Amino acid sequence: MDQNYTFMFYGFLVAWLVVIIYVISIALRERKLRAELDRVKRMVDDREHEPKR
Amino acid sequence: MTFLQQALAIAGKDLRSEIRSKETVNASLSFALVILMLFSFAFDPGSDQVREISGGLLWLVYAFAGTLILNRSFARELVNDCLDALISSPASGAQLFFGKCLANYLLLMVVECVSFPVFIIFYNARWPARWGLLFLVMLLGTWGITVIGTLFSAMTVNLRLRELMLPTLVYPMLIPALLGAIRLSTVLIAGDPLETDDQIWFKLLAGFDVIFTALSLALVEIVLVG
Amino acid sequence: MRLKIILALSVLSGLILSWNLHTMFLKVPDELNQGAIFRIIYFHVPSAITSFAGFFLAMFCSVGYLIKKDLRFDSVAASITEVSFAFTTITLITGSIWGRIIWGIWWTWDYRLTSFFICWLLYVGYLMLRRAIDDPTTRARLCAVLSIFACVDVVIVWKSIEWFRTQHPGPVLSIRSGGGMAPGMEAPIWWNFLALIMLATVLVLIRMRQEAMQREIDTMRRYAHAF
Repeated sequence: MDQNYTFMFYGFLVAWLVVIIYVISIALRERKLRAELDRVKRMVDDREHEPKR
Repeated sequence: MTFLQQALAIAGKDLRSEIRSKETVNASLSFALVILMLFSFAFDPGSDQVREISGGLLWLVYAFAGTLILNRSFARELVNDCLDALISSPASGAQLFFGKCLANYLLLMVVECVSFPVFIIFYNARWPARWGLLFLVMLLGTWGITVIGTLFSAMTVNLRLRELMLPTLVYPMLIPALLGAIRLSTVLIAGDPLETDDQIWFKLLAGFDVIFTALSLALVEIVLVG
Repeated sequence: MRLKIILALSVLSGLILSWNLHTMFLKVPDELNQGAIFRIIYFHVPSAITSFAGFFLAMFCSVGYLIKKDLRFDSVAASITEVSFAFTTITLITGSIWGRIIWGIWWTWDYRLTSFFICWLLYVGYLMLRRAIDDPTTRARLCAVLSIFACVDVVIVWKSIEWFRTQHPGPVLSIRSGGGMAPGMEAPIWWNFLALIMLATVLVLIRMRQEAMQREIDTMRRYAHAF
């Protein structure tokens, strides 16, 4: 019976763990994308204001 | 030229190239023999266990050896931009695809027909009494493998990880066809009577072939050209 | 606007899940034959339905991309596939844990588990293909075709494995033991399903926003290199 409750707990833990890990991976990707977007925006600004060769 | 004439022209080109070089068929056949040998270590050949798994063993060998042929199918056209030339030729994507399917099908059938007697010898099986039906199963099952494999070969041809992606994508797709072929082959090789339940597998194989041939012919233009 | 929808759905989903946790643990009694472990069904079944639905939704979006050639359809398809992949993983693992208690084994090749594992493999193939292609248009095109094939295949796989396993009966799997549940016990499944669908929608919307950001990055990079 004890094993029953332990495994039920593991089951719920796994379900939530997968969701949390996925949410964390999304959040990390968001941060990476924002940094990349800022970098590319700066690159475009630099290229636009560069004196024409 | 009609659809079939174009497709046969392309099939002829591939077959002629293969007959002259013999590179793919030799590699595929050797690989099939190696797998048969490796399986002999896993299972005790000649035992009752082999009777039960004979179909599975056979079709795993065919599926693995077939991937070599299918991988080369479009990959051989990358050299000298031959693929671009084929795509810009008057032959439509569907005709190109069907031609390659026919060529791959023939090559794979050759490998299978040569491996089967070797399998019989290595695993002390008896030549099946209803070999005609077994040949029909091979014809249907191989067409399923060929159609899916050729389409995914076209899909993965320009990828860096082509050799890795093709098996990863193809094998899960092939499972229904392999199931049917395995089930029927096991029954026929063992010499057991075909029950009414087993006839459903013939219908599944035929249905699988028809559905995926139609779907592939419809979508291959998008895969090749855009 | 979209941010408000995301926030509203997250809060609602959180509330329903919390309320359900309360119902599951305090109101619903242990099942007669299975004991406490049967509560896993409250996550297992909704995840299964969500992940399965993902296949079909992704296919519709893929067809939409092939017809309209609008990359937003591709973003939706990719987001749905990724979220459904997470839910398929949950389904498989919770199913396995449930099986460990009920049948004493971690895994069996029962037709439902096998079919779900194949779904999982098809999703893996899709995600691998997405990572393998750099050009956005080519990626959208090829992944759309793969999505259509995968969806058609899933239907055939499901039926064929069911036939295969009924010919070779394996362990008799019945999540609904006894042919049905008492009314009070079944309701939390559907509430959890609603909550999980909302959670899935939130995740899909967030992923879609990220795909839009990626498209913006690609466009600006091309613009920058045009100088």
